[in-house]
Amino acid sequence: MANQTPAVVMDNGTGFSKLGFAGNDSPSFVFPTAIATKGGVGGAGGSGSGRPAVANKPSFLTGGAGGSNLSAKRGTEDLDFFIGDEALTAATGPGYGIHYPVRHGQVENWDHMERFWSNSIFKYLRVEPEDHYFLLTEPPLNPPENRENTAEIMFESFNCAGLYIAVQAVLALAASWTSSKVSDRSLTGIVVDSGDGVTHVIPVAEGYVIGSSIKSIPIAGRDITYFVQSLLRDRGEPDSSLKTAERVKEEYCYVCPDMVKEFAKFDKEPNRFLKHTVTQPNGKTSTVDVGYERFLAPEIFFNPEIWSSDFLTPLPTVVDGVIQQSPIDVRRGLYKNIVLSGGSTLYRDFGRRLQRDIKHMVDDRIRASEARSGGARSGGLEVQVISHKRQRHGPWFGGSLLGQTPEFRSYCHTKAEYDEIGPSIVRRFALLGGPGST
Amino acid sequence: MLLLDYQNVLIQSLLTERFSGAPPVSIDQVVSDFDGVTFHLSTLETKSKILISIAVKCFKELLQYGAQDVLEREYGPYITTPEAGYDFSLIIDLQQLPEDAEAREDLVRRVSLLKRNAMAAPFERAFDDFAQRQEEAAKYTSESAPEGVAEGGEVMAIHYRDEEAIYIKASHDRVTVIFSTIFREETDRIFGKVFLQEFVDARRRAIQNAPQVLFRNEPPLELQGVRGLSKSTNGEIGYVTFGTVKNVASQY
Amino acid sequence: MPAYHSIFLNDQDVRVLGNFALLPLRTRTRGPAYTLPPLPSGTSELDIDGNDESYDPLDEILSLFRANTFFRNFEIKGPADRLLIYGILFVSECLGKVKATMGRKEAEKALLNTALDQFAIPGDASFPLNQAFEAPRDRQDAETLRQYLSQVRQELAMRLLARIYADGPMPSKASQF
Repeated sequence: MANQTPAVVMDNGTGFSKLGFAGNDSPSFVFPTAIATKGGVGGAGGSGSGRPAVANKPSFLTGGAGGSNLSAKRGTEDLDFFIGDEALTAATGPGYGIHYPVRHGQVENWDHMERFWSNSIFKYLRVEPEDHYFLLTEPPLNPPENRENTAEIMFESFNCAGLYIAVQAVLALAASWTSSKVSDRSLTGIVVDSGDGVTHVIPVAEGYVIGSSIKSIPIAGRDITYFVQSLLRDRGEPDSSLKTAERVKEEYCYVCPDMVKEFAKFDKEPNRFLKHTVTQPNGKTSTVDVGYERFLAPEIFFNPEIWSSDFLTPLPTVVDGVIQQSPIDVRRGLYKNIVLSGGSTLYRDFGRRLQRDIKHMVDDRIRASEARSGGARSGGLEVQVISHKRQRHGPWFGGSLLGQTPEFRSYCHTKAEYDEIGPSIVRRFALLGGPGST
Repeated sequence: MLLLDYQNVLIQSLLTERFSGAPPVSIDQVVSDFDGVTFHLSTLETKSKILISIAVKCFKELLQYGAQDVLEREYGPYITTPEAGYDFSLIIDLQQLPEDAEAREDLVRRVSLLKRNAMAAPFERAFDDFAQRQEEAAKYTSESAPEGVAEGGEVMAIHYRDEEAIYIKASHDRVTVIFSTIFREETDRIFGKVFLQEFVDARRRAIQNAPQVLFRNEPPLELQGVRGLSKSTNGEIGYVTFGTVKNVASQY
Repeated sequence: MPAYHSIFLNDQDVRVLGNFALLPLRTRTRGPAYTLPPLPSGTSELDIDGNDESYDPLDEILSLFRANTFFRNFEIKGPADRLLIYGILFVSECLGKVKATMGRKEAEKALLNTALDQFAIPGDASFPLNQAFEAPRDRQDAETLRQYLSQVRQELAMRLLARIYADGPMPSKASQF
């Protein structure tokens, strides 16, 4: 059974879905987790989104000729949908409403999710599910009912050969094994996962998530974009659309060691001010100055106060706090292995700044306790933030890495096991790549 | 609507991006397609040369039915020695692409149809065979036809999966394509039956020029004498027979 | 990390009126402030370091201004921080007066007017930050404070001008705060 079809790895995030095959170094497809359906279907399909169904237009309005009449009679509207980028395009036209089946990392609308999966599998990945093993991801603290639902769909609708559901944070840890800084492949570490909507700090000890100490921060990629936009607006730049702000954010931003010093540096070296040229759809170009937002934007992780008025704890403090809340025997391991994941951690020097700030905090604490204990010396504590090349699609890459290991299949739940035990089978799972697995 | 394309979307999007003049990056991707087909896209020594390999389970059979000719016709200059573990390989040098955009697009399209083209050989041969036989048959009245003509040609079998296969046979008045299907489960079998019955009834009810379709659980007459047919024990194996007559054949 | 604080918080022997620090200034405007030596010739304001003997709270105000305006909360740790806040408040008032289309002369006039205008001191009913500032003890202290603040305002206005119009006759876009 050595030369078999590669396992399919699917990571359905709130914003984007990453699909691909195990063993590859990047996902084959990355597109929005969005599905566009014909107006009426959203309501009829038991959608939990609570939005009123769009009025069903008569078919002659939706542009269909005889064909759509026929399909309407036969009741095949439920097959009429698009996913991913096509969904976004379709939603701008008439008749389609867009839905996001995943909210806050968890699947909310199973009907849409099932159709989203079916299209991902058949249209994009072009695989026959009965020939492939599947590795899906779930957010930390996913309720077991959600896993069961997932298993039900994967086994009963798609009849897939085998299924493994892994926690995203654990996969992100596994992805960091590619970094040269990582010497032992441990599954203990803290994952700082910052995507578009929310930032999570998740401690993982030997492959198990310490659920009680997870913290999330309501600051992530989208906020940075808004912040850049507001800076551009304040300065009265010719183009301050969200899209421009996003481009500026992605192309020019970096993390500075110190805000005031960075301002001074900009004063002394005017070449740090850049120009960004925007080409509008109508062919016009306009030039936007890019100034302090280069380092100010990512700064909101370290100084949330400058952006948000209700969340004031800087990221390093949150990470430190999470580790302090974790069991004492894993703290050392957690400090040593702080892994970044997600698109919003890609700024230059993000890892260095985080490491420095946490290190300061830790050193201060050690010094204070040394002073209190009266003469006892501490051996010091290693703080290491690991950033690596696969950060952007960390969980997916970790899945790809684990999915190609020869023992992966033995960890999967197979169709036969599912038939015997039922959906509850996914409540237990063997830890992949963890200690004791060879 | 789940309308499946012929081409492999990933190969298509990947090549389109590469061809658009984006800075070369190294690629190493394993991609799979229906029917147990696996692709491997990689860049070898330089980033500008993309190697595309395909592994098909039944490649030997396809070769036997003339796949090499079809592939050579489609991909001529790009063919290279097959990569280890794969059946057929193409190499594309990004620095020697066709100049105009249309030709590039055409190349992308052709490469993304690699799997279809590989599978096409037996069909093409069958249709050629059919045309020949038809001409031949026109010389005789049906009564006086010699044995060989009425019987039709050999049955070409493509075992594209472990337990399922396609059989193609040309005779003087039609090309018959038979898919063997397998439904393990009770429910699946019923679904399959209902679904395929729809094909059978289509000709009778709505579309007059639909190809003739038969669905049954025993091997059809055309397959008599073909070795290696699995015996259907409790009706899990079915045979779908498409008889494509001339007017349909000409659409290919 | 909270907002930036004044580095003069730990300075000893500073005269304090109310709870406002009268730190030495590097200025030629006359007043109660102790005068620091002027910058050695050839050194730009931008280059001086916090440890230099000529570094004064006004340099600090200008360099921290951009960073600190982003913060909504500020914990006052001592009299020197109050001077910092006052300065920042004044800088933003000044920037409100300068329009992008103003020439240097015009802006100079506007700013000096602002600096010399009648202004409120801590304790006055119209002073904006009275919760954080204590009123001076008596009339004489109030007068000293007023003179000191006037010094601060004029010097700050001049330095701000120098920065805004560093590159030519029109306000440079780069220094738009």
